[in-house]
Formats: sequence, C-alpha cells, structure tokens
Amino acid sequence: MYYLGIDIGSLTCDAVLIDDNEKILASSVVPTGARNHEAITRATDEVLRSACISEKEVTATVSTGYGRKRVEGRLTAVTEITCHARGIKALLPGTHLLIDIGGQDSKAIELDENGQVVDFAMNDKCAAGTGRFLDAMARALQVDIDVMSELDNGAHGDLTISSMCTVFAESEVVSLIAEGVKVNEIVHGLNRSIASRTLSLIKRIIPDIIGFPIAMSGGVARNSGVVRAISNALENKVAIPPMPDTVGALGAALIARERYSHN
Amino acid sequence: MMLQYFENLESGINNAIKENPESASARKRYTIEIARLGKRLYSDTDRKAWAGALVPFDLLNTMGVTSCYAEFMASVLVSTDIGMELLENAEQTGYASDTCGYHRAIIGAAHKCLMPIPEFLISTTSPCTGGQAVLENLARLFKRDLFVIHIPQDESDQSVNFLADQIEDMVEFVANHTGSPLDKNKQCKAIENTNKAREVMSDVYNLAKQVPSPANGRDLSNFGIVMPLFFGTEAAVEIAQFYRDEFKSRINANNSGVPGESLRLMWLQNRIQFKNTLVKMLESEYKAAIVIDELNDITWDPIDPNDPYVGLARRSISSPLHGTAKRRIKHIIELAEAYRIDGAINPCHWGCRQGTGARGLIDSSMKEIGVPVLNLEVDCVDRRNFAEGQLITRIEAFMEMIESHPSPWKK
Ligand code: SF4
Repeated sequence: MYYLGIDIGSLTCDAVLIDDNEKILASSVVPTGARNHEAITRATDEVLRSACISEKEVTATVSTGYGRKRVEGRLTAVTEITCHARGIKALLPGTHLLIDIGGQDSKAIELDENGQVVDFAMNDKCAAGTGRFLDAMARALQVDIDVMSELDNGAHGDLTISSMCTVFAESEVVSLIAEGVKVNEIVHGLNRSIASRTLSLIKRIIPDIIGFPIAMSGGVARNSGVVRAISNALENKVAIPPMPDTVGALGAALIARERYSHN
Repeated sequence: MMLQYFENLESGINNAIKENPESASARKRYTIEIARLGKRLYSDTDRKAWAGALVPFDLLNTMGVTSCYAEFMASVLVSTDIGMELLENAEQTGYASDTCGYHRAIIGAAHKCLMPIPEFLISTTSPCTGGQAVLENLARLFKRDLFVIHIPQDESDQSVNFLADQIEDMVEFVANHTGSPLDKNKQCKAIENTNKAREVMSDVYNLAKQVPSPANGRDLSNFGIVMPLFFGTEAAVEIAQFYRDEFKSRINANNSGVPGESLRLMWLQNRIQFKNTLVKMLESEYKAAIVIDELNDITWDPIDPNDPYVGLARRSISSPLHGTAKRRIKHIIELAEAYRIDGAINPCHWGCRQGTGARGLIDSSMKEIGVPVLNLEVDCVDRRNFAEGQLITRIEAFMEMIESHPSPWKK
C-alpha cells in the first residue's frame, strides 16, 4: 500500500510517497505558480513516475499547506503545523522545538516527548522574514536566491536590517549598496534580522530554550546563512533534516497511513 | 439610513417568525430588542445619550433616556455595507489606522452624520481610555455636555463610595438636562427588574456550563456586554427568560448547542463583529462549541432597590477588565474550570491594550492549569485587516493540537 502527502505552499508544491513501512519512495518539489491544480498534478505525477506507481495504487492522500483544501480525492486535509511536527518526528526524533520557515509563514512549534504539538506561534500580520522576504532581498541585491546562503561568508559586522516590512527592507538594502556596504555584510545583516524575528516567535512559546533539541524545516532551512544566524541567536545547534522542504509533505503522507489504518 | 436598517431588521425577523413560528429563537428575540433600541436611538422623538460601556443604563432607562455605549453602535455599523467607508473616513480625519476599530468606526460615523446627536454624553474612564477619548471627541463635535465617571480600580469601600457618589451626581446631571428628576418608585421597580434579569442570566450561564452545553457558538455572542443596555426594563428579564427556556428545553430533549459536541472553547474579550465563517467552521469541522465568552458572567451581587447607588457602583467596579491583569486572569481561570474548556481563543484585537497587553500572562497562567490559548492577531472590527485563510490555518492547527491533548477535565 502507498500513501501520498502533498504540501501546497505559497512558493512550492511538494509531494512525498511512502510505503506501508513508512519508507520514502519518492519526493518532488515544484513551483506552485498561479494555478494550484497544475502544481498538484505535476508534483503528484513526478513522485508516481519516479516510484513507478500508478495513481490507482495510492491508498490514501493527505494534503497540507495553504492550498490543502484544493486537493481532490484526499482522505483529509491537515494543517502544516501538525504535518511538519509529524514529519520531523520521523526524521529527527526527540526534537523539542521545530522552526519552520516557508514561503509566507514562519512558525515555532513546541513538541512533547511523543512528537505531538503542545504549542505553536506563527508570524502575524506580514510575511517578513519568510521565503518571499528573502526572494525580494535577493532581487534587490541582484543575486540568485540559491547562492545567497553562502554570501555572508567572511562577514562579522553587527549590521542589521532594521525594517522588517519587505518593501522598506528592500529600499534599505538598495541604500546600503549605494553607500558601498559589502554584499556579504548586507546578507549577514539580513540573516541576523530573520534570526532575531524567529527568536521572538520562539520566546513566545518557550521562554528558555537553552539545551533543547532544535530542528528546522521548510525551504529557508536550505539557506545555511540563515540557519547559522538562527543558531547563533539561539546559542544552540539547529539540526536540519535531509530535504527540509518536504518535511510537511512527509508528515502528511505519514498521517495518511495512520488515519487510513485507523479507519 | 440607520433607522431604515433597524426597521428592516425588526420586520425581517418578525416576518420570519410569523411564517415559521418554530424558528422563534431566543437569539432572534434578543436581536428584535436590539433593533428596537436602534430605532429609538435614530428616532426624532426620544431623548438620547451616548455613553461609556459601564454607565448604569438602568438609571438612564428609568429617566426616559435612550442610551447606548458608542462601541455597540460601531459594531452594528461595521456589519453594514458602509462599515469600511466609515473606517476609511476616520483615517482621513487623522485617526491612525492601527487604533481600535470600534473607535475609528464611531468617529467615521459621526463625521458622516450617522451618529444621532445626543442631548448629552456620559463616559467612564475605565476599562477603556480610548473610549473615553472618543466620547470627549463626540462631545466637542456635537457641542454637548459630557459627564465623566471616574471608575476606581479596586473594590475597597472607599472606592465603592467614591463611585456611588458620582452615580448620584450623574442622576442630577441627567435630571438637569432632561428637566425631569428621577422618580424613586420607578427607580425601585427598575432595580427590581435588574435583579430579576441578573438572576435569570445567572441561570442561563449555569445551564451553558453543562456538558454537553446547550449553547452553540452564536447563541450568547456579545450577550454579557449588550444586556446591560436593557437593565432596568422588563425586556431584559424577558430576553434572559427566552434563553433560559430555550436552553432548558434543549437539555430536556438531549440536544446540545453543537450536535455531537466534542471540544469546548472560551472566547476572550471581543467577538469578531463582521460576518465570517470561523465559528461555523469550528462547529462543523471540529464539533467545537464556544461555550463561554469572557464577558458573559455575573460578577456582582443583587442591588438594594431602595438604596441602589452603592450596589450599582459595586457592579461597575466588579468588571474583571478593571485593575490588574492578575485579577482578570483569576476570573478567566475560574471560567475555564467552571465551563471545563479544552482551549481558549484570544483574538488580541488590534489597537486594544485589554486584548493584547496581558496576553503573555494569560497564556502562561492557562498553561499552568493545562488549558492552551490561541492568540490570533485580528481586527475584530475592520475586515480590511482580516486574512481569513491565515486565521483558519491557525485555528485549525489549534484544534488539531487540542484534539490530541485531552484537557485536564477529560483525563
Ligand atoms: S476593544 Fe479595547 S480599545 Fe477597543 S473599545 Fe474595547 S476595550 Fe477599548
């Protein structure tokens, strides 16, 4: 029996296919774009093709992410908070705090010893410090988002980007470039700003985090510069699972398996 | 325009009841009474006053003054088609867009001549300093006298007497403006009505505590803060009785407010005042009932009809929104235990110190008794600041979380 998890985020649509033994058979990440249905079909087709499985053989599908209710034929839709928690429990058991920074949301999720969510906090009012924020900053710096993660190399300054509004931060970055501030210092400043925002989110649910097992999921976890800055701000190691952007989809697939067996 | 709105509201509900008498719910009867109050406020005949939320409306009703706290009218106005226009208007006249939406709506409505001009205004300095400022603004705009009641923050005898004296002065202020002194017999009757309403409301709340609760998430929304407008009148007693009868008959028929109730929630402070799908979603997808609103409680003793000012003063000071956060939290915890809730939702209404100031303390205190709190950041009045999809994700995640953690009462 095969179980499919689909995570429809604002930037990417991710799919993970597992078997009855919870073994990951295939995963895919495609851009969500403007049409959710096309992205869902593409991500699904990719995992099915790569695992050589037909759609009919999928026993149950669980969807998550902001477009979770747009997946046809799903067993159920579950929020990304629960799915990321379930996914990290499988990949990095014992995690006590999960930071998930995706396209337009950042979340701090507290887990108990069984990997169940006991509290969470999400960014409110705006998408500052998320994947979209980093995209806009990469544009302002005229660099590719994929190379941005190493661009802070060698920076040690204490520059921070004070504005967290994406539009204002973009003009702040442009002004810094005009003033001749080095790109690595600006990127370092951006990373520190994201880290300080993430820290505030975390402190809302866990005031004292020293020594806790911490992990990070979501697309931004691929950005090693941001992870370093968060780790420094927390004074704690932050573990990154393999394929951090598909943790939500994996969680959805695992929940599909559990709910199907339970029913 | 607003007169027409309230006339249509009343006739619409009356016609619906006439066509289908079975549909005559307590909520509908309560709404009819609100529509009647609205009609009187916008009529040319009644003496009118704008007031603060904790003014003793029992006395104003007795003295023939149709009155209402301005935030109540704001909540009605924002649910109409022109609501957003009013908020924009307030911002154009200099109100910051992140101040409390109730106050922006009032100021916008006043500038658009949609707030009836009162004979006078009476404000209370607590729990909302923003509301006090709004009434001062209205008094200047309408060129009318404002009587300010300073509400003390503790329940000492000295504070109670200080407030009781001010209530007495308020009666004199009203009499000077209307030309009719307070009739002591009418006052006595009014306080008896208030005490009766208090008793029946207490019964209603006790019935709502049952597991499963006869209340659904809409029955008693805004009830505890709107009912005082009718205090002193027979209408207040009747509305409360309708609710009591309805809840009793639901219990007798083994019907819960939310069929198959599985989760019980508390809503802190304000409800979202414009149409939205959140409460319905909680009920249909999670069988979750909002069984208690923070402001739906009787925190005061019956009032002596022959010497009411001390009792009225005690009632005003007893609001848990005065004083320290500790006092408010103690009250929230008592409600959480009495109603056996699984979780609480705090909308943290934009621009409100009551909604946001104590949120961390509320969170940690509730955690200590094993009840989680979901903090939203929602503007309960301004739908331009309402990201429904984002809110649904937070609420659904909270529901998933409390579904997997039995509350202390279920262990
Ligand atoms: S929501 Fe807060 S600021 Fe607004 S009227 Fe109520 S107490 Fe005052």
